[in-house]
Amino acid sequence: MALSPFASRSPSVAISSPNTALRLKAAAAQPAAGSAMSAVPAAHAHSELTEQLNDSVARNYERGKKLGEGTYAVVYQGRRRDTAATVAIKKIKVNADYKDGLAMDAIREVKYLQELSHPNVIALHDVFSKHENLHIVLEFLPGGDLEMLIKDQDIHYGAADIKAWMGMLARGVWFCHENFVLHRDIKPNNLLIAADGEVKLADFGLARSFADPYLNMTHQVITRWYRPPELLYGARQYSGAVDVWSMGMVFAELVLRVPFVAGNTDLDQISKICEAFGTPTEENWPGVTQLPNYIPTDGSHIIPASGRDFFLRQFPTAGPVGADLLMSMCALDPRKRTTALQVLQHSWWTIDPRPTEKEALPQKRKSAEKKMGDDLSRRGGELPDDSPFKNAARQLDFGAMK
Amino acid sequence: MASKEGTDRRDDDEVCPVCKSSRYLNPNMRFLINPECYHKMCESCVDRIFSSGPSSCPVAGCRKTLRKNRFRKQTFEDIGVEREVDIRRRVMHILNRREEEFDSKRNYDDFLEQREEIIANLVLRIDVAKTEAQLQQYAQENMQSIRNNQALEEQEATSFQARMTLEQEEAQRRRQIARQEYESERRELHAGREDFLSRLASGTAADASAIAKEGHKVLLKKSSARRSEEDRIRQKQAALRGSETKRTGTPLTTADTAGTSSGLIKGLRKIKTPEPEKPYDPFMGLVPEKRDYYTLQQSYPSAYLDNLQKNTQVSAGGYNLQEYYSRTLLEAFAGLGCFVEEEVSRREAEKVSKPTATEGAAMAAVKEN
Repeated sequence: MALSPFASRSPSVAISSPNTALRLKAAAAQPAAGSAMSAVPAAHAHSELTEQLNDSVARNYERGKKLGEGTYAVVYQGRRRDTAATVAIKKIKVNADYKDGLAMDAIREVKYLQELSHPNVIALHDVFSKHENLHIVLEFLPGGDLEMLIKDQDIHYGAADIKAWMGMLARGVWFCHENFVLHRDIKPNNLLIAADGEVKLADFGLARSFADPYLNMTHQVITRWYRPPELLYGARQYSGAVDVWSMGMVFAELVLRVPFVAGNTDLDQISKICEAFGTPTEENWPGVTQLPNYIPTDGSHIIPASGRDFFLRQFPTAGPVGADLLMSMCALDPRKRTTALQVLQHSWWTIDPRPTEKEALPQKRKSAEKKMGDDLSRRGGELPDDSPFKNAARQLDFGAMK
Repeated sequence: MASKEGTDRRDDDEVCPVCKSSRYLNPNMRFLINPECYHKMCESCVDRIFSSGPSSCPVAGCRKTLRKNRFRKQTFEDIGVEREVDIRRRVMHILNRREEEFDSKRNYDDFLEQREEIIANLVLRIDVAKTEAQLQQYAQENMQSIRNNQALEEQEATSFQARMTLEQEEAQRRRQIARQEYESERRELHAGREDFLSRLASGTAADASAIAKEGHKVLLKKSSARRSEEDRIRQKQAALRGSETKRTGTPLTTADTAGTSSGLIKGLRKIKTPEPEKPYDPFMGLVPEKRDYYTLQQSYPSAYLDNLQKNTQVSAGGYNLQEYYSRTLLEAFAGLGCFVEEEVSRREAEKVSKPTATEGAAMAAVKEN
């Protein structure tokens, strides 16, 4: 895996899926071995070959009705011609901002999704270009997203359902971390639901690899309500703990059915986190004062870290063991926070109630397809106009990374 | 069923075979039998002989040991019938499989035939020991299903009883309503006629025919309205009854699987026991921290990384050098044990039947290792 997202700038790498890349190499080897061709025609044939491969992939998909549109992409329902399987085709819009290349989000999405194959991560089927547009063929997920289920007051769910959803989310996140990919935008409306009820991690527009020493990463990621304190304090080196915090927030939201700590600004978010979980100090988080954007709090306003009672009181549905798990996912100090692996090793999964079978989980009846289209076509950090996240959009400053 | 009274009166000079006292001297004498040997004796004899515990039958030549609590009144005059009914009751009690427990009608019929054969054997005293042993074994092996079916039968009997009383009440109510209706109809007719007569008496001669016609029409209208109302009620009741019978349909029994083990009854429907639920696996089959080719150490000496370890700002953000080690080793060994050619040829053989959902599967699998 490359260290920086810029390593795969070359469109040919981004456009051809590993499958096609293999076939491409095999096909290119044959004519070269057969005849002694000069260098120029060989190069010419090669470029033609990539185009041919691209066309053959593109011809394999049939575009259907539009599912949703955002500033970044348009999502269509599609069909594979040879197997008649339904897919979602995400057409990346040609953006004026990225005249000299492809949109970062698209590159990130293709780069990381093609590495990951797991039941709880949206599958990337193919990538092709057509009419100068990049098309990403994704798994078709008609079940809507978790946000719809949380918001729909007509849908009732219990501890077993929450456990099932959290289990699928935790597996997806663990698999990403195991392969050293940070998702960096975990929130209920990026958790899409397949026809069989399986929850899948989608929107890898902000994903990146991690653990590179001395390499700064941006702290302006993750939708604010799900952003961990270390990012709010401007940490430039962080780990999978950021995704675990987001997971904890999703867990809390599933229990409460409203976002747990919902700040209007980054500063408000910090103070809300302090209110809920306690003020970060050198005692409970060594080195916190040295983080770039640390805001000192005066001694009189320090709120003691909330203990187990707080979580038990606040999240009775989760049960005492579930509250313990949530508490460990919401540790202020990222080093003390559980990892995705430890989350899955927690005893909460094996105690009663047993997680609901995915087919038996509550499902959305309304036009969920439209929702999938909207979710997929949104730019990383972009939010629907009517959403409660309105002022919480994260911004990516790519200039700072160059 | 022969009436007890009749029997008593006819045999006025009936004599107890044990104590020889006759009904003539003791008009309140009652005869009892014991289903062990069906020898008849009078109540006082039973009291006298069996009050102090089980004893052998006083009838000459019969050596059956009898108990007092088994003595009862005779139901049928013919002792042979009495005995057959008892045997039948006992066998039916044990072999109480129901039709819905069988694979086919044929198998159920075979079962019924088999049951009759067993009863006949016992009644006619053919192979009694063997048949009894069979029954005994079956009863032991299928205790649970026998009990279930008994409970079901009881339930059906009570619900049948309840339905019968309900129906009787219903019929009574209907009769009452019909009677009331008839009464009111008659009253109305009477009133109508009186009204009609009074109008005729007060009106002129020219109106007479018109009034007569009108009165007739009113009566007709009333009766037709009543008839349609009755129809409506009847339909409603029929619908109600229909839904009720549907609801009281017998539930399938949960018979035990041991039913076929004794081999006595064949063609029983196989009952699938649901497989025990596997414990929930949070990883769904994947193995965490699986490393085939290397072991990860706590730290690796490197001057390049020492600075990073000392930097509190970096570690406060959650950066973990351990992850860097782990990732570096993972990437160094990625691809070992992964043979692309084999995978490709296997995939070609499958002839791309599935959508290429696992496009990156090879790579992901490598990463896994």
